[in-house]
Amino acid sequence: MNIQDNYLKNRKNIFFSQNKDIQNHREKLINIFENDSFDKKNNESLKNINLKNFIDFKYKYLIPEETSVINNNHENIYSIVSVNGQCSSFKDDKIEITKILDEDYNDFSENNTIEKNDHFVNLNSLFLNSGFKIVIKKNNNIKIKISNIVTDDGLTIFQKNNYICEEGSSLNLIEEYENKNNSTSNILNVIKLEKNSQLNHFLIQDNSLNHNLIITSHSSCKKDSHYTQKVYNFSEGYVRNFHYSELIETNSEADLQGIFFLKDNNISNNKTFVSHLAEGCKSNQVYKGILNDRAKATYFSNTHVDQVAQKTEGYQLSKGILLSDNASYFSKPELKIYADDVKCSHGSTIGPIDENAIFYLRSRGMSKIAATKILISSFINEELSSIDDDQMAEIIQKKLVRYLSKVK
Amino acid sequence: MNSETLNTLDTYSKNKYKYGFVTDIDNEKPKKGLDEDTIKFISLKKNEPDWMLEWRLKAFSKWKKMKEPKWANLNFPEIDYQDIYYYSAPKGFEKKPKDLSEVDPKLIETYNKLGIPLEEQKVLAGVAVDVVFDSVSVATTYKGELEKKLGIIFCSIGEAIQKHPDLIKKYLGSVIPAGDHSFSALNSAVFTDGSFVYIPEGVKCPMELSTYFRINAENTGQFERTLIIADKGSYVSYLEGCTAPKRDDNQLHAANVELVALDDAEIKYSTVQNWYPGDEYGKGGIYNFVTKRGLCAGKNSKISWTQVETGSAITWKYPSCILKGDNSIGEFYSVAITNNFQQADTGTKMTHIGKNTKSKIISKGISLGKSQNTYRGEVSFLRKADKARNYTQCDSLLVGNKCGAHTVPYIDSKNNTAVIEHEASTSKINEDQLYYCRQRGLSHEEAVSLIVNGFCKQVLQELPMEFAVEAQKTCIYFS
Amino acid sequence: MFLEIKDLSVKIENKNILRGLNLNINKGEVHAIMGPNGCGKSTLANVLAGKEDYEILNGKINFKDNDLFDLNIEERAQEGMFLAFQYPVEIPGVNITPFLHSAINSKRKRMNEEEIDNLSFAKLLKSKASDLGINIDMLKRSVNTGFSGGEKKRYEILQMSILNPDLAILDETDSGLDIDALKIVTEGVNKLKTKK
Repeated sequence: MNIQDNYLKNRKNIFFSQNKDIQNHREKLINIFENDSFDKKNNESLKNINLKNFIDFKYKYLIPEETSVINNNHENIYSIVSVNGQCSSFKDDKIEITKILDEDYNDFSENNTIEKNDHFVNLNSLFLNSGFKIVIKKNNNIKIKISNIVTDDGLTIFQKNNYICEEGSSLNLIEEYENKNNSTSNILNVIKLEKNSQLNHFLIQDNSLNHNLIITSHSSCKKDSHYTQKVYNFSEGYVRNFHYSELIETNSEADLQGIFFLKDNNISNNKTFVSHLAEGCKSNQVYKGILNDRAKATYFSNTHVDQVAQKTEGYQLSKGILLSDNASYFSKPELKIYADDVKCSHGSTIGPIDENAIFYLRSRGMSKIAATKILISSFINEELSSIDDDQMAEIIQKKLVRYLSKVK
Repeated sequence: MNSETLNTLDTYSKNKYKYGFVTDIDNEKPKKGLDEDTIKFISLKKNEPDWMLEWRLKAFSKWKKMKEPKWANLNFPEIDYQDIYYYSAPKGFEKKPKDLSEVDPKLIETYNKLGIPLEEQKVLAGVAVDVVFDSVSVATTYKGELEKKLGIIFCSIGEAIQKHPDLIKKYLGSVIPAGDHSFSALNSAVFTDGSFVYIPEGVKCPMELSTYFRINAENTGQFERTLIIADKGSYVSYLEGCTAPKRDDNQLHAANVELVALDDAEIKYSTVQNWYPGDEYGKGGIYNFVTKRGLCAGKNSKISWTQVETGSAITWKYPSCILKGDNSIGEFYSVAITNNFQQADTGTKMTHIGKNTKSKIISKGISLGKSQNTYRGEVSFLRKADKARNYTQCDSLLVGNKCGAHTVPYIDSKNNTAVIEHEASTSKINEDQLYYCRQRGLSHEEAVSLIVNGFCKQVLQELPMEFAVEAQKTCIYFS
Repeated sequence: MFLEIKDLSVKIENKNILRGLNLNINKGEVHAIMGPNGCGKSTLANVLAGKEDYEILNGKINFKDNDLFDLNIEERAQEGMFLAFQYPVEIPGVNITPFLHSAINSKRKRMNEEEIDNLSFAKLLKSKASDLGINIDMLKRSVNTGFSGGEKKRYEILQMSILNPDLAILDETDSGLDIDALKIVTEGVNKLKTKK
């Protein structure tokens, strides 16, 4: 079915389809797809993907029967179960959770650093059927854990979440994606950090083979704020993690970190894009990948330094280990710099596990396979040991052990 | 940035382009524009065999269907291909002059001014030169000696088409197919002159071979074609230099250079590109769209590119290596300096096909004024490239706050025994270093030059001795 | 008066470092400025050499009948001021020979003296280096690049002896040196002094 028919047929349970402006915007998006007017060849969002599968899909959405639960157990910890992308409203003196509104529709697409060519973002805007908005109130320090659950086979979730950290607030956000059914989640996160706020965003992804997960997020940081993102991808299904970060006021920081563990025929596409738009900001992008069997991964990283962004520090690092003959890794670490008082660098290495190290360990009596596993663990040790949440560290350690048990 | 840095920058931007004079000489051109007749005209002028004309026409029909590649970080108005002369030769060049007594003294004078003397008694020792003026090769020095004693063929490509059709048929277009992209198709259709080199098996060429390109005529494109073949176990070092007069219009230069290295052969190719860059307001200058590609066809072969890019309004250039033979080596050393409104998008492509292939990329970009300087490079390891290695280092230096420095590497690995390492950095000129140099009594300007020069050293030291000094001068705008 | 500092007050990044410093130095004298960390010793050295990060709030400095503040960094150096840095900066890719050669010639030019040619300079450099026990191989390396702390200090003294300054300011040149290196450095300093 073509995009237009698909949209018209399912309009009734797509958000904001009564809104004229949004309607107009969506028609434009439909035109882009119908006219094939986008650049397929150099499109980063399409590498290793058969776009047709994602455009020509069967739309299905179920409004969850049970409203999702929020739990406040006195210690500034909130547990949210988001079902099919929805979460019921909640309000106390620290946080407020509401549905997303018409006015939240456009705050992503009008942003200029995000490519107009990202079809998954466009599909999300077109078929938007779920999502919520969380505001962390001034000067509060809290932790939120969100379990993202998809209830039925064949569901296509198009979800949009807004996070707003008000001045001086601090949020530890842990998101879990562990879906076993045959479904697709296309999620757009828009994150705003006000002055002097802080957000540590962890994403643990462990979906089964038939679940596709597409996450695109955008964070903007005001003065002295700090956004950290850590993604751990153990999924067997397709996962795409794209993050765009804008440092819009002085002395703000963005730390973007990702580790992916791939095997079989798995594909993972990753991108981080940091725009330095003010003086004295810092950014750090570190992505590490371990690829086994016939897995394929891409990593695009981009540091853009505007002319006004003097005294910028921007670092990028990407590393890949290929464990098998048939795995492949594509990396494109880009620097675009228009200010002169900057310190920017990037490094990238791709290769096998160091043979000398294997030899050394074997000469101490370790088997080859044990040596390989130890070296894989050490490859990501720095990132894992920097997790200061014990519960999280334990979860990830378990998943790592499971991944390693399949390495032969 | 302090005021003295600004003053220094100002001096640089006003630094005069030394090679901007025009030689007043009558020339012969076809009508403007590009169609089959233009190509037939060129082919006829060059007295080419039919197969060559056919080859050109085939490329032309491909070109008509192609669009210019658009991925580079460059801004320029649409090129009007019908507003260009595709051939220009000083009058009376139907046949290449046998010796210098037949060459117009004005031409000899031109090359003297450029520091490339052609008279027998003055020729550069240790360097054989082929000089190309607009669309024709003017003279080739040391030619006889190389050919008689060692069997080395060093001549214009036009001459090679006449005298060595077998080699041309076998290798022309073998590394850069005509249909590769629109500039290679254009060049294949209308190329006028350039150099041809063949080094026979086992011969180490004892001197530097060099071509000096000069664009003189107005509204004229230069489309040269160079082909170098190093047969088994041979070695050659080749250098090209380029200059053009100052003109207010932009001129197009779209060259193709193909290198083939057979088993155990080595080719070292160095370029000092100093085409007219336009004035301090961005007016005029050469559009330099160049395709350079080397094929390490044989085992243990090696191709090394060294380039110093200082000129041209626009540089679009990616000297590349296809590492097909096992154990073959590709190298790329580059310094690109942009000033005023210059734009450079340059880098390399290393394609590892064979086992144990190695490549090394050292790129230094320096941006001044309002210029944009991009390194773009691709390293790929194909499935069979067992134990392949790459090391890449690209550093950018920003001098001033209105320019841009960009790094766009593409890294693709499909082999799990191959190792790739990539490092890049961008920074401004170090104030502490400037202070240190000035405390020792160097002027601000000297200090900047010295530091920039040090920054480029890794690349400059790869140039052949004879040209390193000259390149350093061009490079740091000392005059 | 050879060097006269009058009522000097200096600020850097909103911090007042020197407040009303007075100091007179005559030709041929050796002075030691002592004080705890952060009292402004390096600041004074850098202000004399003309580093641009400092803001001069008040005061005057005369050096060899010049108002020092009228001269920029290199002009002061060419007038005979030399600062041996506490932490000499690394300059990759720049060899000492052309570096010092242009330094000495820019000084000679200012003094209306004849420039020294390549060959004589190379000889001069070699002989001074061997006087200071500096290995010839070290002269082939880039300025300060990959040097140990002691090597850098020796290298500063080598430059000092070549440039033959009228006023040498040694900013903690003795720190981080072993006994042998210290001896070489002191001998270098004494040689310069007796020659004047």
